[in-house]
Amino acid sequence: MKTTNAPVPSTPRRLSALRHMPLVTAVVMGVLFALPLLWVLAGSLRPGDKVLAGLDRVSWHSLIPTDATLHNYVTLFRGDFGRAVLNSIGVAVATVLLGLVLSAMAAFALSVFRFRGRGLVFAVILLSFMIPFDAIAIPLSDIFRDWGLQNTYAGLILPGIGNGLAIFLLRQFFLAIPRELVEAARMDGLSWWGVFTKIYVPLSRPALIGAGLTLFTFQWQSYMWPLLVGTEPDKQLGPIALGTLQGQMVVDYGQVFAAAVVLTVIPLLVLLRLQRYFTQSIAGSGLK
Amino acid sequence: MTTSPPRTPPRPARRRASQGRTALYFLAPALLALVVLRLLPAAMALVSSARHHSLVDGTTTFVGLGNYTDLLSDSQFWQSVRVTLLFSLVINPLQVLIALGLAVLLGRRFAGVRFWRSLVFAPIAVPPAVSAVIWGILYRPEGPLNAILGALGIPPQPFLTSSEQALFALIVLMSWVGVGYWMMFLIAGLQDIPQECYDAAAVDGASAWQRFFHVTLPLLRRPLAFVLVADTVANFLVFAPVQLLTRGGPDGSTNLMMYDVFRRAYSVGDINFAQAEVVVLVAITLAVVVVQFRMMQGKGEE
Repeated sequence: MKTTNAPVPSTPRRLSALRHMPLVTAVVMGVLFALPLLWVLAGSLRPGDKVLAGLDRVSWHSLIPTDATLHNYVTLFRGDFGRAVLNSIGVAVATVLLGLVLSAMAAFALSVFRFRGRGLVFAVILLSFMIPFDAIAIPLSDIFRDWGLQNTYAGLILPGIGNGLAIFLLRQFFLAIPRELVEAARMDGLSWWGVFTKIYVPLSRPALIGAGLTLFTFQWQSYMWPLLVGTEPDKQLGPIALGTLQGQMVVDYGQVFAAAVVLTVIPLLVLLRLQRYFTQSIAGSGLK
Repeated sequence: MTTSPPRTPPRPARRRASQGRTALYFLAPALLALVVLRLLPAAMALVSSARHHSLVDGTTTFVGLGNYTDLLSDSQFWQSVRVTLLFSLVINPLQVLIALGLAVLLGRRFAGVRFWRSLVFAPIAVPPAVSAVIWGILYRPEGPLNAILGALGIPPQPFLTSSEQALFALIVLMSWVGVGYWMMFLIAGLQDIPQECYDAAAVDGASAWQRFFHVTLPLLRRPLAFVLVADTVANFLVFAPVQLLTRGGPDGSTNLMMYDVFRRAYSVGDINFAQAEVVVLVAITLAVVVVQFRMMQGKGEE
């Protein structure tokens, strides 16, 4: 592009090409990242024996199935996988609800009260949040075995509910709630529990959604923990069931793809719908 | 609200004590959960790593640092450390650079940017077990990646079945999942940079590159530091794709530490030895985090 003898006519053309560069690159990157998912979606709609067939000739047929069928999904949910997905959803919902109650209460105490030992409490939260969960999953599963929590829903849910990050996110938001509001409510005889449930919780919807997403993602993404603690078929979570599907001697790829789609679409819908809160919550987590 | 003095605690000590008790009620459930579910197992790992359980007579004895000295003379442990370090040295800079590039690109405002950003962001939603399974199929000898290579006239590659390529195949797979996530943090950071900074640089006649290196990068230091540290920690703990796809192989080429710990605890069955390795893994992780924070702060003071 170095036309040194005629720079004048080349400049506008070069500029207009440059102006479209971001869009072109964005499209290319977006398509590259989405391609594996689109391919899996297409595969899940094909008859099971045709998923990997015809790959020697890559064409638009690889992404758009001409003989689309929901057969894979039907078979999938007739087997153990339906149970596993329901388990995953139930465990995630319970984690979010319990985790939010615990985290919001703790965040409330840390943003409203002055008391001795606050420093210690912060240290516990910070420490628990610096020790990566997967690293302590093995010792924790030992403890849970002793307590008879193996293969129970409680065993699957509990590790998700103590989340230091969720507490920090909520506290950050709670600190912005004006003190006068609390003092006026106390003057009117409202109990501390009342201040929490009638003032702080209703005012903190965005922060609660952000913290809820953190709790949800932790639970939906967990793999090692359910592998350690939920091994019985009726307590299996989705990802473990998927691992079993693809580890069989004869793998039905149609079902594997359908399972992958189900396990991805659920969190994807939640994340895309709540993307705004997700961005807000990560923007507040340690950046500012 | 009349002109009553805002704070007239008649008996400050008593009021503070009663606040302390109320605070405790609110804090107790979360504290209990954090102590029992995070700190207790960490302490247990420490205690357990100083013990040895004999399968011969079923007794457990205190061996002090015995497991650690055994670990340090275990060639497979060092092999796992080497693999983990190589993995970290490649994947962390790679992910942060791509995430930065994507953030600069998709943090701009142009028609449809939200849609393209969502596409890059979409793999975040894919749970690790699912992404591992998807890429396991993509990497198959007769799978779509080799079909694409074939269409381009490149001979088929072994990917996960080759000890030279398997680790890099995992790096690509983990980056596909992770990059969009870190990009979101950097976009949030970019949007916090005041427009005046760019305007001032433009007035001074700075080129796009100069603006990037002298305005964007310095002002993005904090989010970048956060992303680098958080990404490094996350990548030290990669487990699902190894367990589902390679089981540490071929020839130990993907034997990342988190998987090595799991293997020792459940396949080899030496839980105490595995706990010692967990403690070493956490120690290495924390050390790296501290060093990275120091480096980031040091750069800022120059």
